[in-house]
Amino acid sequence: MNNKEPMLEMFIFETFEMIEQLQQLMIDSEKIKKLEIDSVNEIFRIMHTIKGSSGMMMFDNIANISHTIEDLFYFIRESKPEKIDYSILTDLVLEGSDLIKAETEKINNDKEADGDFTIFIEKAHKLLDILKASNNLCENLENDKTKKIIVNEKEAHKYYLSNDKTNTNIKLFSATLFFDEVCEMENIRAFTVIHKLNEIAEVSYFHPEDIIENNETCEVIKQQGFKIFFKTSYSIEDIRESFMETVFLSKVDIEQLDDENESDEKFKKKDNNAIEVIIDNVTDNEKANYKTTQRQSLISVDVKKLDMLMDLVGELVISEAMVTKNSEISGLQLDGFNKAARQHRKRLSDLQDVVMSIRMVSIAPTLNKMNRLVRDMCKKLNKDAELEIIGQDTEVDKNIIEHIGDPLMHIVRNSMDHGIETEEERIASGKSPKGKLTIEAKNTGGEVWIIIKDDGKGLNKDKILKKARNNGLIKGKEDELTAKEIYSMIFLPGFSTNENVTEFSGRGVGMDVVIKEIEKVRGTVTVDSVEGKETTTSIKIPLTLAIIDGMTIKVGNSTFTMPVTSIRQSFIIKKEDVIKDLDNKEMILIRGECHSILRLHEFYNIKTDRVNIEDGIVIMVEDQGKTRCIFADALIGEQQVVIKALPDYIKKVKGVSGCSLLGDATISLILDISEIVNL
Amino acid sequence: MKKILIVDDAAFMRLSLKTMLEKNGFEVVGEAENGRKAIEKYKILKPDVVTMDITMPDMDGVEALSEIMKFDSKANVIMLSAMGQEEKIRDAVLLGAKNFIVKPFKEEFLIKTLSKL
Repeated sequence: MNNKEPMLEMFIFETFEMIEQLQQLMIDSEKIKKLEIDSVNEIFRIMHTIKGSSGMMMFDNIANISHTIEDLFYFIRESKPEKIDYSILTDLVLEGSDLIKAETEKINNDKEADGDFTIFIEKAHKLLDILKASNNLCENLENDKTKKIIVNEKEAHKYYLSNDKTNTNIKLFSATLFFDEVCEMENIRAFTVIHKLNEIAEVSYFHPEDIIENNETCEVIKQQGFKIFFKTSYSIEDIRESFMETVFLSKVDIEQLDDENESDEKFKKKDNNAIEVIIDNVTDNEKANYKTTQRQSLISVDVKKLDMLMDLVGELVISEAMVTKNSEISGLQLDGFNKAARQHRKRLSDLQDVVMSIRMVSIAPTLNKMNRLVRDMCKKLNKDAELEIIGQDTEVDKNIIEHIGDPLMHIVRNSMDHGIETEEERIASGKSPKGKLTIEAKNTGGEVWIIIKDDGKGLNKDKILKKARNNGLIKGKEDELTAKEIYSMIFLPGFSTNENVTEFSGRGVGMDVVIKEIEKVRGTVTVDSVEGKETTTSIKIPLTLAIIDGMTIKVGNSTFTMPVTSIRQSFIIKKEDVIKDLDNKEMILIRGECHSILRLHEFYNIKTDRVNIEDGIVIMVEDQGKTRCIFADALIGEQQVVIKALPDYIKKVKGVSGCSLLGDATISLILDISEIVNL
Repeated sequence: MKKILIVDDAAFMRLSLKTMLEKNGFEVVGEAENGRKAIEKYKILKPDVVTMDITMPDMDGVEALSEIMKFDSKANVIMLSAMGQEEKIRDAVLLGAKNFIVKPFKEEFLIKTLSKL
């Protein structure tokens, strides 16, 4: 979002948010084939609000669509039709809300919101007609409307008073009022005039009469003015003054009626067939039965500012290290300074926590979008599947949210398209006719896991291999590939196992986007499958993007840093402890378990004089149950480091996930333990 | 300077109103996003004028108006409505709403309506 007017930005933000809410409500209603009164009210309110806001911003086409849908739900709310085709209704509302979303998207991209929606609006009108017709409610609705203004004799408030009051000072007047051309709702404005006039006068009659129930009286008032006959003891000036307090009044003609007989006749005549406008007791009106939506008081902040804040905290961590680990003070006895430095460190880490938490957002909206996708695909592909979402409360960094939306969509599409079978196929293979998709999100220590699982036909290794071979995607020996390696080939650019290109997936682009996007946030994607039974795709993304507690180690002139959380222990070993396997790989036996040793200087080809295993140090690291012993020259110390991505000109380095600037301005490479344990 | 309380469930509308009002020398003393909060804030802030949206969750504008009028019979409440809500406005006027504005409205409309109070 570039610099937009705050009002426009708010409009865009709020409209997107409400559309999301609306679509979820519709999908939920369709599932239970019932529109709860709360949902109807909520949808009505959302459409009403969007209509109002877009009208203010003069986005008329958005206002028109929302108005049409609002009408539809007004009808549903007021006449509670029994027969509703939820599928058609949901389709329509989703289509409409998609259109609003697309228009808002255009506005967001500084383009003109110029879509033409006459077709949609016609469609919506047609549906309303069908709804009315199929529920025989054409007339009922009319009745309903008039019912509201039907005279309720018991609690009647009469606005016409008969002429039997005998106060000699009372004079008779007639007044004709004209409103500003642009003021709208002239009938209601006229009603407010009458209401106000009642304070100082007795209103006998006005024309047009049916101002409340008939909105067409607006036109009459526009053309002929609004005529009132009343009695009062106030002077003509007082009356004029009172009228002029009305907003948007352009002209008032007041006339005193001298001829009592004439006026008497007039009043009598009117009295005889007086139409009494009666107002129901409003407090007894149906109380709005709105769902109490939980709303927090929030402010919206440009994400860029948060990024900047995050970067600044990162820099602060580095400069803190530069001060406290400064070589000029090392070795000095500085008790006071150290105490202050410790306190400073503590504050800094509190600040970090707060900044991180600001950036954390719920994953729920992203996951819930999949409901819509699954629903649409079920319809189009004529399949039946339900989606279960687990762990909606999981919170992840805003940055991550932005990068998982597309991959998630591609995986779900792929599952629906190639995984879940048709009903007949499922029955034939002894499965329940309804397919099942599960999306689970969870925080596991330092990572966010998103696991997408379907109980479809699974992946076929041979098919994948054949395809990969034909496309020249296989490097190295085919028979050395593990099952997981074969499965992950579906994420290679240009790979597609299904010959039939469908609307949703199978264009041969898409799945490779998954890896690309996830790698941007240093995440990994793995696929596992049981043929004929299920496919599971796991996305794992490091939770904290920027700052880790790191242990810095030294190898020759190079420094490496690894997360402290992944270190099990470090120790010095003797030559005799090392055992070698048949491939001459070094191993060590610790508490009955064999661990292989990775010499960093050998692995990265670094010159060092500490090649003797007794001279250096061995660090045992662990990731997800797998361990590895790393051999380095020495431990330098523990400190927080800010992870930065490797510059683009450095291609992927095995075992390294990023780099970092240390307090003494040396550059340290961050070891990717999850990769190292698998080397 | 008139003190205004803005009541609207849409943050966009609240921002629009606030911007327009402050530009024209009104002081926006508070905002509420539903009827219930509007009543609470009215009692605390005692604003000179309330701009009250009608369709809101939790408690709608007409209901909130009724409660505010019970608390302060001299309250100046302006209803914000849209076409099609004629009946609600009628109810509001009967309950004591001083005036109403039809959405979408222009800044001058809002200011004109408020200055008439």
